[in-house]
Amino acid sequence: MIDDLYDERGEEDTTIAMFYCDFRDQQAQTAINIIGAILKQLAVRCEVLEHLRSTFQKAKREVGSRGLRLPDMVQMLKQAVVALPRVFICIDALDECLPKHLLELLRSLKDILGAAPRTRIFLTGRPQVEAEVTRDFAARLMVPISPRRHDIKRYLENKLEMDPEPMAMSDGLRVDILTFIPERISEMCVGASAVPIQCMVLH
Amino acid sequence: MDQAVYAHSTDNASTNSYNVTNSHNNVINVNNITPDEGPENMLWLSPLDPVRRHQDVRIDRLDGVGNWFLETNEFREWRSGEGGADKAVLFCYGSPGAGKTYLR
Repeated sequence: MIDDLYDERGEEDTTIAMFYCDFRDQQAQTAINIIGAILKQLAVRCEVLEHLRSTFQKAKREVGSRGLRLPDMVQMLKQAVVALPRVFICIDALDECLPKHLLELLRSLKDILGAAPRTRIFLTGRPQVEAEVTRDFAARLMVPISPRRHDIKRYLENKLEMDPEPMAMSDGLRVDILTFIPERISEMCVGASAVPIQCMVLH
Repeated sequence: MDQAVYAHSTDNASTNSYNVTNSHNNVINVNNITPDEGPENMLWLSPLDPVRRHQDVRIDRLDGVGNWFLETNEFREWRSGEGGADKAVLFCYGSPGAGKTYLR
C-alpha cells in the first residue's frame, strides 16, 4: 500500500511516513517515540528539517533539563504536517502497542488531524482495537482484511517454486495443494474476522 | 530520498552524544544531544527506525498479493483526499496473519 502511494503520487507533492508497531519492542514504542519516528521521516524535507532544528534549539534554551515531552513532539509534528502540501501517515499493528501508549498515540494523531485535516492516516490492527480507533475517530473508513483465494494461490505457487527439494513433490500433490488449500483457508477466514485463525500462508 | 537535505549545519556542533530516555518517563532529554544529526539518525527525535522495518516488509512481500485492496472504494476515497476530515482515517482490521502488513 505504501509502495502504491509512492507510485501513484504523480506530480503531487506528497510525503509518506510509516510506523510498524511490534510487541517485541513495546517498551520503547511509546507515543512520543512513535511521533518522533514519524517526524524523522518528514525531516527529509528541508522546510521541516530547518523548523525542527530551530524548535530544538528553542526547547533547549527554554526548558532546561525538562526535556521534550509528548505535547512538544505533537506540536512539532503539527507544524511539520501543516508546512507540507500532502502527508500520509501509516501505522501498522496498533494491537501490538501497549494500551497506554496506544491511547496517547491515537489522541496525538487526532490532535494532528485537527490542525491539518488534509493529512491522511492509515491504521491497521486486529478487530479488538476498533473500539479505541472509533473513540478518537468517529468518522473513519474501514476495510476488513482477509486473505483472498488469489493471494493464497500466488503465495503457494511461490513457495512451490522455491522448494529446495522439488523432486519430492508429485504433480498430483502439487495440483491438490494449489486447489484445496486456497479454498479451505479463504472459507475459514472470510466471515470469521473475530476468530483468531492463523492464516499462516500470508506470513 | 534526496540526501542533500540531510546536510549537517555547521554551527553548534557542540557534542556528538545524545541521551534519549526510555519509555518509562516519556521524555526526550535535549541537554546532551545535538540537532545537527541527519534524519537518518536524529536520535533526539526518536530511537526507533521504522524505515528499516519497511524494507524488510518490502522484501518479504509478493508482487500481486493484496492488489484487491487498492481497488476498494474506501482506499480510493481515502487516498483522493476529497472527503476532507471525515475520510482522513482508514482503518483496516483483520485476524493475525490475514495479511494486513503485506497489503499491496
